[in-house]
Amino acid sequence: MSAVLPEQKLVRSLRIQARVIGALLMREIITRYGRHNIGFLWLFVEPMMFTLGVLALWTALGLHKVVLPIVAFTLSGYASVLLWRNTINRCGNAVEPNRALMHHRNVRIIDLYVSRIILEISGASISFLILSVVFMATGLVGMPDDLLKILIAWFLLAWFSLDMALIIGSLSVLSESVDRIWHVVSYLFLPLSGAFFMVDWLPTYAQELVLWIPTVNCTELLREGLFGNLVRAHYSVGYVVLVNMLLLLPGLLLVRYVGLHLEGE
Amino acid sequence: MKTLPKWIRDRLFLFSVVIPTALAFLYYGFIAADVYISESRFVVRSPERQTTSPLGLILKGAGISRAQDDAFVVQDYILSRDAMLTLEKELGIKSAYSRPNGDFLGRFPGLDWDDSLENFYRYYQKVVAVQLDPSSSIATLTVRAFTAEEAQKINQRLLDHAEELVNRLNKRAQEDMIRFAENEVAKAEAKARQAALALADYRNRENVINPEQQAVIPLQQIAKLQEELINTQTQIAQLEQLARNNPQLPVLRKQAEMLKAEIERVSANIAGAVDKSLASKSAEFQRLALEKEFADKMLASAMSSLELARNEAQRQQLYLEHISAPSFPDAAMEPRRVRNILAVFLMGLVMWGVLSLTVAAVKEHVD
Repeated sequence: MSAVLPEQKLVRSLRIQARVIGALLMREIITRYGRHNIGFLWLFVEPMMFTLGVLALWTALGLHKVVLPIVAFTLSGYASVLLWRNTINRCGNAVEPNRALMHHRNVRIIDLYVSRIILEISGASISFLILSVVFMATGLVGMPDDLLKILIAWFLLAWFSLDMALIIGSLSVLSESVDRIWHVVSYLFLPLSGAFFMVDWLPTYAQELVLWIPTVNCTELLREGLFGNLVRAHYSVGYVVLVNMLLLLPGLLLVRYVGLHLEGE
Repeated sequence: MKTLPKWIRDRLFLFSVVIPTALAFLYYGFIAADVYISESRFVVRSPERQTTSPLGLILKGAGISRAQDDAFVVQDYILSRDAMLTLEKELGIKSAYSRPNGDFLGRFPGLDWDDSLENFYRYYQKVVAVQLDPSSSIATLTVRAFTAEEAQKINQRLLDHAEELVNRLNKRAQEDMIRFAENEVAKAEAKARQAALALADYRNRENVINPEQQAVIPLQQIAKLQEELINTQTQIAQLEQLARNNPQLPVLRKQAEMLKAEIERVSANIAGAVDKSLASKSAEFQRLALEKEFADKMLASAMSSLELARNEAQRQQLYLEHISAPSFPDAAMEPRRVRNILAVFLMGLVMWGVLSLTVAAVKEHVD
């Protein structure tokens, strides 16, 4: 009998996991968006309605002649909120509806999280992309200044969302109150997340404080990518990477712990 | 191999913790060159400036105002290409930072091949830093170099140039202010001279000093003549009633006529259709006199505003005050070797944790 090399075993496991996640993804798409109503399209209609509403509000107040293009500003802010909020919220309740699937040996708890995270991240990304293209085509949004910066910012924000989703998701399995508390916290966190302000608008002492928040750094970078020299962005990519790295560890540990905990039941 | 504990044989651990930490230990322990930091502190001060807008007052009260915009000017200058080029000309800093006493990563251009000035400018922005403390507006200038002397020298030169810049700004502002006031004075002077000349010219031409004062004497003359005329006419009337044949009568009549003629002549001199009359001269004289008076006043006010501008310029001087002179570091404060090795080690541990957990999660899937 030829010994199976550990690498081959790992690749085999990876292939199985990919198939599991793929299957879960299809299931999630159908349960998330359904086949009735406009279904999948809500992904774009929701942020579009919000952006248009804000645009109308600003125009009515006569504030649309500010330095920044307000449509692009609102769109980028809402899109980034959508990214972290949906990703984290959806993982708060990932296990319970899929409990029955856990009887399959190869459906692990991390697969449930990963499939939801992938779905939410790609949903938010596609929505941001398509809305940007639509607004660009209608001239409401100018061409971005630096595409690479936008991509990096988006990636870092998605990474942060993944970390938080793993942490909040597994904690809410352990205690239901975590999910409820998180909803409150996420509303409180909304104005602090950097989606609706630029750091440069704040007084100096507040700038230093607010830059401790990883999402603020991401939105700053995102806006520098969008507007270039129109804005004076404050951010540190290194800091965000560090925080993301440090948060990933407890996230994975918690997921592992929850997996053992559920199996023990 | 068998004797080694399992966690060392773990390849993940090897790549994420052991190798990075060993590399960091090698670099920071044996290769990394000492970096000396010279620090100086200064403050850019301008005498109290009045806040004009009420919003500004409120903001200032709340401590939000960004005081000392002038410090930003100095900060921008120190970090500019201009400052870098000046230092390159004076001290040759580019070659100073490329010398082999810096290690291969820390010196310019490091692992890059591009040794252009533009690339050096990016390097320059890393070794020179200006930090502004927003509450006290004290600026801290730090310069990193591979020798203590260089760090101090560069810091000193930068400080000198910053001071020159402030002085230049002062001089420019003063000159602008005073030059404007001086121009005004010169213009007023020319006008005053012109008005005085025009008046003198008129006096010479028209043979008159001040028509109104000159008219006083002829008017008194007229009054006297008229009195005499009335007297004479009274006498004539008396004689005509009492002694018709008085031989004095024709004489008196003649006298009255002469008086009338004289009155007419004198009054024509003062006011009359004749060009020579004082009244016709008075209008032109008044205009010229007024013009002169006006020009004199203008000159006086221009002079006083020049004085004011001089004072103001003196008062609005910017000062770059040194709080502490560039220090001469007697020990290299960077790189922080142990701390950096430790940081690499800890990051490696986190990395290893993440990777091994991920691998474990994948491995849970089996046929």
